[in-house]
Amino acid sequence: MEDAPLLFAGLDVRFMVEIFPRMVQALLVTVQISALALLLGIVLGIPLGGLRVIGPRPLQLLIQGLVSYIRGTPQILHFLVVYFALPGVGILLDEYWTGVVALTVIAVGYEVEIVRAAIESVHKGQREAALAQGMTEPMAFWLILLPQATRRMLPALTNELINVIKASALLSVIAVNELTKVGNAIIYNTFYFVEVLLEVAVLYMLVIGALSWLSKYLENKVFSFGAALSTPETR
Amino acid sequence: MGEILPRLLRALATTIQISVLALLLGTVFGLLLGIARVIGPRLFYPVIDGYIFVVRSTPFALQVYAAFFLLPRAGIDLPLFVVGVLALLFNSVGYQIEIVRPALESVDKEQREAADSLGMTRWLAMWLVILPQAARRMVPPLTNELANLVKASSVLSVIAVYELTRAGHAIIASSYKFAEVLILVAALYFVTIQLLSWGAAYLERRIFTYRSGQPI
Repeated sequence: MEDAPLLFAGLDVRFMVEIFPRMVQALLVTVQISALALLLGIVLGIPLGGLRVIGPRPLQLLIQGLVSYIRGTPQILHFLVVYFALPGVGILLDEYWTGVVALTVIAVGYEVEIVRAAIESVHKGQREAALAQGMTEPMAFWLILLPQATRRMLPALTNELINVIKASALLSVIAVNELTKVGNAIIYNTFYFVEVLLEVAVLYMLVIGALSWLSKYLENKVFSFGAALSTPETR
Repeated sequence: MGEILPRLLRALATTIQISVLALLLGTVFGLLLGIARVIGPRLFYPVIDGYIFVVRSTPFALQVYAAFFLLPRAGIDLPLFVVGVLALLFNSVGYQIEIVRPALESVDKEQREAADSLGMTRWLAMWLVILPQAARRMVPPLTNELANLVKASSVLSVIAVYELTRAGHAIIASSYKFAEVLILVAALYFVTIQLLSWGAAYLERRIFTYRSGQPI
């Protein structure tokens, strides 16, 4: 019943087609978990980024310290910390949500800086005008600075989504069924090394290539008026 | 904590060893490919750009797994340490080309024209005139790259290279003292990486002051 393998350049194409639906499903998990972490990261990043700019000095230093810690230690370490520390303080989550929390930690470290840079890029006359109208500092931040800063964050946030997707591959170590993990599982079951790795790599490249095109497009076309904010690339 | 510190310090030494090796070997390839990308035959450009794209658009963890699975498959049996260095090297070269290329392109084009007018070939001008000037501009980003490599090398723990993260993980598995171990590991990484990135910032200031002090 089993058909002979369909070979192309030494690769078993029939097998690659066969595993494709599972791969796409795993890719969806990767994208979903990364997008979720990015969004939670924004929810935390905006208040933290705002406080980093207009908050009291000790709080600013604390946030800055947090950011340097997150950016100055390896991502895999944050996964281990979240993986061990959450149950340690009585928070029991499944692998998926542990992964989301861990990725959110990474995302926040960069998003605080994105928010800060975007807010500082809004002309300071805007803040002064708002204060002159009798607004309080938080009101000026919320009503005047943030809406203008938000558009400028979009290209940088797209880049950050790329970084988070790349970081999500490390979730394979805590058994989240994302693309890298599923690829490895198939390799261990079937020993089709090249076929699986190639397919996994191409799927990542499609998504990340599309996102980095989008980020460049947003930066050049849509936001050409604003100061270009860049986000450092992580691996 | 005092008990496990020597073990972690030894593992940190491995981390630094792997990272420095990958940086230095990476600089050799990064320079060659970066120069080829600037003055080499046009035929090479899409190949080099494609390589950079592959490195940058796939997760490093995947590259590590690929080295781990594919090298033995190709009949190349290497110790894990070497597999780790090779994976890190493959990754780092992709980033280092993008350090070399802008540095070369940042040298004033009059320099090349002057070399041309003296009858130098393109490659001779590159070697004698452009590269020495560009090299100093590469030093700060390369220091940064070393900091990135120290961070990235932690991923090698997934294929059981015994570096800092792996050592921490092993000690946790045998002692369950995760808080102490994780704090120490984080502190060691943090100090190492901060020192390197301060070094990069310092070098950048030095080199920029030097440049602005030059006669125009």
